[in-house]
Amino acid sequence: MTGVLVIGNGPAAHRLVHRLRQLGHSGGVTVLGAEPRAAYNRVLLTSVLDGSLPPDAIALPRHPDGTRVRLGVTAVGVDRARRLVLARADDGRGMLSYRYDRLVLATGARPRIPEVAGVRMPGGRLAEGVRCLRTLADCERIGPGQVAVLGAGVLGVEAALALRRAGYEVTLAHRRAQPMGRLLGPRGGELLAERLRDLGVELELGHRAVGYAPGKLLLDDGRTLPADTLLLCTGVTPETGLARAAGLAVACGVVVDDQLRTSDPYVHAIGDCAEHAGRVSGLVESAWQQADTLARVLAGERVGHRAAKPVIRPRTPGIHIAALGTPDGGGAEVVTFSDPARGRYASLALREQRITGAVLIGLPQAIASVSQLYDRDLPVPADRLALLLGTASRRGSGALELPDDAVVCLCNNVMKRTLSDAWRGGARELPDLAAATRATTGCGGCAPDVRRLCAALERETG
Amino acid sequence: MPRTLVVIGHGMVGHRLVTELRTRDRAGEWRIVVLAEERRPAYDRLALSSYFDGRSAAELTLADDDLLADPAVGLRLSTTATALDRTTRTVRTTDGTVIGYDALVLATGSRPFVPPVPGHDLPCCFVYRTLDDLDAIRAAARPGRPGAVIGGGLLGLEAANALRLLGMRPQVVELAPWLLPLQVDETAGALLARLVAGLGVRVHCGTATESIAPGRVRLADGTAVEADLVVFSAGVRPRDELALTAGLERAEQGGFLVDDQCRTADPHIWAIGECAAVNGRCYGLSAPGYRMAEAVAAQLLGTAEARFKGADTSTRLKLLDVPVASFGDARATTAGAVEFTHATPNTYRKLVLAPDANTLLGGILTGDTSAYALLRTLVGRELPTSPEELLGLAG
Repeated sequence: MTGVLVIGNGPAAHRLVHRLRQLGHSGGVTVLGAEPRAAYNRVLLTSVLDGSLPPDAIALPRHPDGTRVRLGVTAVGVDRARRLVLARADDGRGMLSYRYDRLVLATGARPRIPEVAGVRMPGGRLAEGVRCLRTLADCERIGPGQVAVLGAGVLGVEAALALRRAGYEVTLAHRRAQPMGRLLGPRGGELLAERLRDLGVELELGHRAVGYAPGKLLLDDGRTLPADTLLLCTGVTPETGLARAAGLAVACGVVVDDQLRTSDPYVHAIGDCAEHAGRVSGLVESAWQQADTLARVLAGERVGHRAAKPVIRPRTPGIHIAALGTPDGGGAEVVTFSDPARGRYASLALREQRITGAVLIGLPQAIASVSQLYDRDLPVPADRLALLLGTASRRGSGALELPDDAVVCLCNNVMKRTLSDAWRGGARELPDLAAATRATTGCGGCAPDVRRLCAALERETG
Repeated sequence: MPRTLVVIGHGMVGHRLVTELRTRDRAGEWRIVVLAEERRPAYDRLALSSYFDGRSAAELTLADDDLLADPAVGLRLSTTATALDRTTRTVRTTDGTVIGYDALVLATGSRPFVPPVPGHDLPCCFVYRTLDDLDAIRAAARPGRPGAVIGGGLLGLEAANALRLLGMRPQVVELAPWLLPLQVDETAGALLARLVAGLGVRVHCGTATESIAPGRVRLADGTAVEADLVVFSAGVRPRDELALTAGLERAEQGGFLVDDQCRTADPHIWAIGECAAVNGRCYGLSAPGYRMAEAVAAQLLGTAEARFKGADTSTRLKLLDVPVASFGDARATTAGAVEFTHATPNTYRKLVLAPDANTLLGGILTGDTSAYALLRTLVGRELPTSPEELLGLAG
């Protein structure tokens, strides 16, 4: 039986190891974790940040018996010819080497550090007061005082809200005009901005950070924001150093095929470091699905990975948000509902009655029903407003005709009844009707309606 | 002995007053003197661009032979009123004539507003209001050459169409961030700009006109728009100069101040149409003007209580071949209003609903306005079925 060596101990690695055991994998499984802690659920970091969960509570279940888990061990090189991984142990044991039959890279991603003067010290380490938010250790280091969060993507928004709940004064700075604008579109982003302000988060939108000094962040318009802590939420970069050094194909992430195989058939990659079908997903759900697929591949099943449809549900208690697919989604039709007074917004991109993308804010019921339809590629009901509001679908009674007392020609106050009477009196063409009733002789805008009425009357008498 | 009504102005609304009164005044109570500033009797000003699409001035006229031959109507063309004397109840005209009245209706309309930018008075600059204006534009137009229209409202797009019909290549400059800012929202305005661009009309929004020189218009954002000919359609101002000599009150934004019976403080004088500020508000569309004319005609015939109850400012037009309509509270100004929109690459439709998300308040239709008549009648009522079905989208 083959020995599987996993580099990385995040959610993707954790899921893989458990699935392998469930599928009856009997070979050895070794996990190298760079962090000194056991695996934990990174997605719940903001719950540690706001104090609602103690750090231990986000630990993932223990690895199955027999799994060799090496914590505080950082892989530094892969010798593919000899199928060896070289690693450095933090406890002073020096360099170690691990053999593999199959190697799995689950190295994740690292925070992207923006090129802002003063953020790094000479030598590259982050300056005093500057933090990222990727590990449990990051959560524990936030000191007292005011926090500036830089970057209002999903993580930045989640972190700002979490810090606010923990009682910090928080300013969220973003170079675009709306928070999460790329995901939510301008209208959705605007609504989110309003809700964030309601929840006490200060927003600085449309400005770039250009400098940092302990205690303050300098913006491109010359103003400074108080920043006893500067929390960088400016995106992540797939951790591909090992793969690159080992000569594996790397684009944005480590390139893998449908069997999650890199350019070396004995090396796989999953999670945030992997690039499948040209995309690095960055979502924990995708990482889990890749882990599931890879476990079956390693167990000898003939399966191929198909990326699930992306669904993003930010952890923003008090604001229900979901983003499905891509914002415009290449839809042929776009339907929106907006209710700014009640903090509700929805946008559905549709093609042949199927959802290709959606943004939903403040509509928890619609998030559930729309996600279902999207996930299963089912047609949406004809009454989309009812779908979004969670009310009963309406169906026309066929009574969509103009009432007799409807004013057809607004300029001249001519009712449908007057026109029908004139038509029955022999005025069959537009000029005759105009002479008889004055309809269409003002702005002329009602001419199509008068023609339609004539056609309907003709059918009636037909 | 009939009493004398003097109507100052023979535009669409002044004309409507005359025909309304002549239709209903069976006892012959009134004789009417109409002072028309232009050399032609009233014509359909809303269809002006069709003047370049094969319709003649005669076809645009609103005054038929019966009216012109009516002995109770004296129409004085090319005659401008210069002063009012309310104590002697007389009107003085440009040729020195003094006409006495028992009732006077001001229907002087409005004049185009020309922003005072450098070069606005060059010979290449025109306005778009009268048939004479159009004749002047036609004389100056050169097929294939570029032109500029300052103002992207209803009239501006009509003017752009007129230039197109004359074979010119018009560009439109609008100060607001999108076209038709008074009627539609940003999405509809942007779609309209895209659709008219497909017809060869380039649109510059969100920028002021800085200066005009022969051959080009310079915009505040630095763009230089090539233009042999410039048409101003940047809004209108009520023609209320007579208020000064007559001591009549004007509204803050201009216009003869009248009550909801369209009466000035002088019980013998009314104002209707674009020159009237009903309780301070001026209306720039024909339907409200017509309602005012009807209300005044009724009062002149003894229905003292006839009032102008406000008017539906819904609009449906075909602008440069793109159908556009707006009705009710199209811009969702009602507190707590919600919006439902539907867009395809070439259409955009919006329903504005009350906070219950079920009662129709208004809407905007762009690219396809076939649902307009039905939706307009549903304003203020609950939707009888789904928005898609009402918009004619349910397949």
